[in-house]
Amino acid sequence: MTKKRDGQTERPESATDPSRRRFLKGMGLAGAGAAIIDLLDPELAPAREGSSEADRQLISDTVEVSLFVNGQRRTARVEPRTTLLTALREYLDPPITGPKLVCDMGACGACTVLLDDKPVYACLVLAVDAVGKRITTVEGLGTPEKMNAVQQAFVEKDALMCGFCTPGFVTAISALLRRNPHPTLDEVREACQGNFCRCGTYPRVFEAALAAAQMKDRE
Amino acid sequence: MTQQMPQQQTPPTKRKKRIRVPRVENGIETMVEIEVDDEGGPSWGPNGAHKLLNHRLTRVDGPAKVTGAALYTYDRRAPGMLYGRILRSPYAHARVVRIDTSEAQRIPGVRAIVSLTDPEVSGSTRERIVRFVGDPIAAVAAITPEIAEDAIRAIKVEYDVLPHVVRAEDALAEDAPKIFPEGNFAEKERRGDPNAVEAELAKCDVVIEAEYRTPIHHHACLETHGHMVDYRGGESAIIYASTQGTFTIPDDAAKELGLPSSAVTAIVEHMGGGFGSKFGIGIEGKLACQLAKRAKAPVKLMLTRKDEFLMAGNGPGSWQKFKAGVNRDGTLVALRATQYQLGGLGDGSLAGQPYIYRAQHVYRERIAVYTNEDASRAMRAPGHPQASFAIESLMDELAYKLGMDPVEFRKKNLRDPVYHRQLDRGAREIGWERRPKQPGTGRGMGCAVGTWGGGGAPQCKVTVQIARDGAVTVAVGTQDIGTGTRTFTRAIVAEELGLEMKDVTEKIGDSRLGAANASGGSTTAASLAPAVKDAAYNARMQMAQTVAPLLGAKPEELQFADGKVIGGGKSLTWRQACAALPPAGITAQGEWKANLAASGVHGVCFAEVEVDMETGHVRPIKMVHVQDVGLPLNRLAIESQLIGGMIQSLSMALLEGRVMDSRLGAQLNPTFNDYKIAGTFEMPEMIPIIDDEDTREAVIGVGEPAHIPGGSAIANAVFNACGVRVRELPITPDKILRGLAELRERRAS
Ligand code: FES
Ligand code: FES
Repeated sequence: MTKKRDGQTERPESATDPSRRRFLKGMGLAGAGAAIIDLLDPELAPAREGSSEADRQLISDTVEVSLFVNGQRRTARVEPRTTLLTALREYLDPPITGPKLVCDMGACGACTVLLDDKPVYACLVLAVDAVGKRITTVEGLGTPEKMNAVQQAFVEKDALMCGFCTPGFVTAISALLRRNPHPTLDEVREACQGNFCRCGTYPRVFEAALAAAQMKDRE
Repeated sequence: MTQQMPQQQTPPTKRKKRIRVPRVENGIETMVEIEVDDEGGPSWGPNGAHKLLNHRLTRVDGPAKVTGAALYTYDRRAPGMLYGRILRSPYAHARVVRIDTSEAQRIPGVRAIVSLTDPEVSGSTRERIVRFVGDPIAAVAAITPEIAEDAIRAIKVEYDVLPHVVRAEDALAEDAPKIFPEGNFAEKERRGDPNAVEAELAKCDVVIEAEYRTPIHHHACLETHGHMVDYRGGESAIIYASTQGTFTIPDDAAKELGLPSSAVTAIVEHMGGGFGSKFGIGIEGKLACQLAKRAKAPVKLMLTRKDEFLMAGNGPGSWQKFKAGVNRDGTLVALRATQYQLGGLGDGSLAGQPYIYRAQHVYRERIAVYTNEDASRAMRAPGHPQASFAIESLMDELAYKLGMDPVEFRKKNLRDPVYHRQLDRGAREIGWERRPKQPGTGRGMGCAVGTWGGGGAPQCKVTVQIARDGAVTVAVGTQDIGTGTRTFTRAIVAEELGLEMKDVTEKIGDSRLGAANASGGSTTAASLAPAVKDAAYNARMQMAQTVAPLLGAKPEELQFADGKVIGGGKSLTWRQACAALPPAGITAQGEWKANLAASGVHGVCFAEVEVDMETGHVRPIKMVHVQDVGLPLNRLAIESQLIGGMIQSLSMALLEGRVMDSRLGAQLNPTFNDYKIAGTFEMPEMIPIIDDEDTREAVIGVGEPAHIPGGSAIANAVFNACGVRVRELPITPDKILRGLAELRERRAS
C-alpha cells in the first residue's frame, strides 16, 4: 500500500492489500454490514506495537474512528469499507478536501497524503487502517498565508493550471524533499511517477521541485 | 468546423463596422459576421509598453490551490447533503423493459431514486432505449457515498437487448443494425469535382494514396463532471457546478427544479479541467436536480471515473482516406479526401482537408459515421488535431518521396508568411539541421503546423468598483478553467489604475455577477479581457473627473502610475485620491470592444524523438512550439498553456485511445490504469515560444492552438527516427515493431 517513491522502496508492496481493499469496498449489499478487519496484516505485524490475537476483531455496521490528521485528533463514524480519502473528504466535519478523488483506484496520485511521513494513495487505504497513524494532508504542509517551500515554488514556477492534481504533487514532492533534500531531475520524475496531470504541468512541477530544494537550503 | 485563415486585424476607421466573431456552441467555434460600434475608447497600446500585462504573473489563485484551500465543486458539502450515483446500462443497445427499485428503496439511508423510464424525469413518454454501454438509466441519493453505491447495485433492470455496432466499418456495412432511423451516417460536406481532381491526379509527377486513423479520445478531466445541488424545496437553489460555462447552468437547472431561472444561482469558484466537455448541466446535472427535488435535500452527484469514461463525452475519432498528387517542384496539385468523423452517437468533427495547405484541385467529402458509443463533444481544438495528424503525415510522406526537406516542402505549400517565419524559428530552436536525412538511425525530428480562431465576441458585462478606502474590485460571472482568467482579469484592472496585483480583488464564477461567455473555442480571453479593460478604463475616467480639480489639472492629463495619481505637477497617493470620491465610490461598467480583440493564429511544433529499434519504444526528447498570440496577457500562463497543449498532443500521439470490444459493444479501458495518459517519464524537454513578431495589439485566445500540431510532429519524428510510418494513432511499440519487420522483409526481397 505504501507508494513506491524512490529506488529503495520502503516496503515491498503487499500483493494482498489492493485486492483486499477492493474486496471490502466492493462488498456491496451483502457485505455492507460486516467485514473482518485484519489488523494483523502479516507484513505489518512486526511493526505494530502491542498487536496480538486480541486485535483481530469483527466490525460491522459503522465504527467510530479517531484519526490524527494534521496534528489534530478528529473522529468520524465510518463503515469498515470507507477509504481514508472518503473519510477525510466526506465524513469528517468540517471536511478535509485538499486530497482529491480522481480515479479511486491508485492510478493518479491526486489523493496522496502522508501516513507517518510516507506518501500513500488515500483511496487505497481504509480509514480503519489509518487509525493510530500520523496523517498529513496538503493542508498540513502550509496555508495560503504561510506556504512551505514546495508550495511557494509551485506558485512561482506556475506548476499548476486547473490545480486539481496539485495537492497530490505538492504532497509527493514535499515528502521527497524530506528524505532527499537534493534530488536530481530523475529522482523528481520518479517521486511523482504515480501522479497524473491532465492540464500538462509536469515540466514546471519538476522546475518547482528543484527550486524548492534550493529554497530550503537558503532557509 | 469551418476553418479560419489567420489574418492581421486592421485598426478601426469607420463608425460602424462588420466583424467576424466566433460563435461557440458546445465548444465548437464557427465564425459569424456582426456589426459593432466602431468608436474610440480604450486601446491596449504597444505590446512592449505594459507594466503588468505581457509580463510573467504568478496565478492569483495559486496559493489557495497549492495548499488545498481552493474549493472545487467536488469539495462542496452542505448540512444534510446526500450523495448521488448513477446506474448505467451494461448493454450497447437495448430496450429497458422494467426497472425494479423496491429492494434499493429498502436500504436504510436511501432517500430518493429516480429513473429515466419515468416521464417526469426524462421529459419523454417514449420507452427508454439505451444506445451505449454507460447510458444512464436511474440515479439514487443516499446519506453516504457507500450506501448510494449499494442502492445502485440493488436496482434490478430487465432489458430487451438489441443489436449494436461500435466500429465505423461495421456501421457502414449494408446490413448493419440501424442506430438512427435515418441510418448510420450523414454527409456533412461535399466540395469539388471528383472527376476533375482525378484527371489532375493523373497528370501529377508523384501520387500517394494513404489512410490515416485516430481513435476516440477522452478529455480525462481530473475533476469529473458533476454538481452539488443545494436545494431543500422552497423558492431558490444554488448549483455548484464543475463547468466551463457559469451561465450555461441556471436555465437548465431551473427547468428541472421547477423554479424561475432567476431563482437559481450557479457557482464555479474553481474547476478541475474541462477541455471542451463541460457545458450545460448534462444528464448528470438533470438527475442531481431531480434527486434533490424529491429528497428535499442537497445532493452532490459527481461522476465516478468509470462514469466519466463511459458517459461524459469524448473527443471524436477519425478515418481519413487521401489520394494526393504533387509536382517535382513540390507543389501540392490535387487532393481527393474522404473524411469520416467518428463521434459515436454524435457528429464528431474534422477540419476540412487539406487543412492549412493550399492545393489547386481539391475534392473532399466529410461524413459522420454513427456507432453505439456516447456522443462526442468538443475537445480542445475540435477536429483540428485529427485533421492535422492526417494531412501532416501525408505531407511528410510526399516530402520524403520527392526527396525534399519537409520544412521546405511545407513552406512551398503555405502562402502565409507567418508560417514561414514560425517554421524557421522552430527549426532553429530544435536544431533541424542535425536531423538525419535518411530515416532509420533511431533518432529523428518532425514538424507540423496548425491554425485556430480564438477571437472574442460581445458577451461580457464587467463591473469595476473603487471604494473610498481605496479598495478595488472587478466582478464578472466568468469561470477560470485553469487558464488563468482570474489572474489576467485582476492584472488588467491593476495596470489601468496604476496599481499592483495585490491592490485589486476579483470576483468571478457566480451567475449573479455580470454575464460572460462559456469557455469554448479559446474565446474567453478575447471576449472578457476587452470588457475588463473597458470597465477599468471607464473607472479611471470617472476617477479622473473627481480628482483632477484637486490637482489643478485637466482630467485627460492625469496619469495613474505606481500607486499614485499624477497631474498638474503634483501627485496624490491612491488612498488620498480615493478619499475624494463620493461616499458610494465609483462603479463603472465595461463591455466588449472590437478593437481590443483579434482572431486568427498560426502555430508550429517541432519534435525530436528516439525510437528503440529493439522494443519499438518511443522516447520524446524535445518539443518546441512557436505560437503567435496577439497581446500576451500573461506570459507565464500562456507558456503553461503551450506546454500543456504539447503534452496532451504527445499523449495522444503515443498513448491514448478508447479500445472497444465489438462483440460486447463495451469499452475495454474505462479506467486510468488502462487508458493511459502521459506521466512524468514521458516528458521531454519542452520549449514554449511566444512569437513576439506578432505585433497585433489585441487579445486572442490560445488554449486550443497548442494542442493541434504536436502529435503530428511526434508522428513525423518517429518516421524520421525509424523509417516506419504509423498511420493510426496511438503510435505504440507493437505498430513500430510490425513496421520494422515489414521494412526488413522488403529489404530482403
Ligand atoms: S484517487 Fe487515489 S490514486 Fe487516484
Ligand atoms: S493542473 Fe489540471 S490536472 Fe494538473
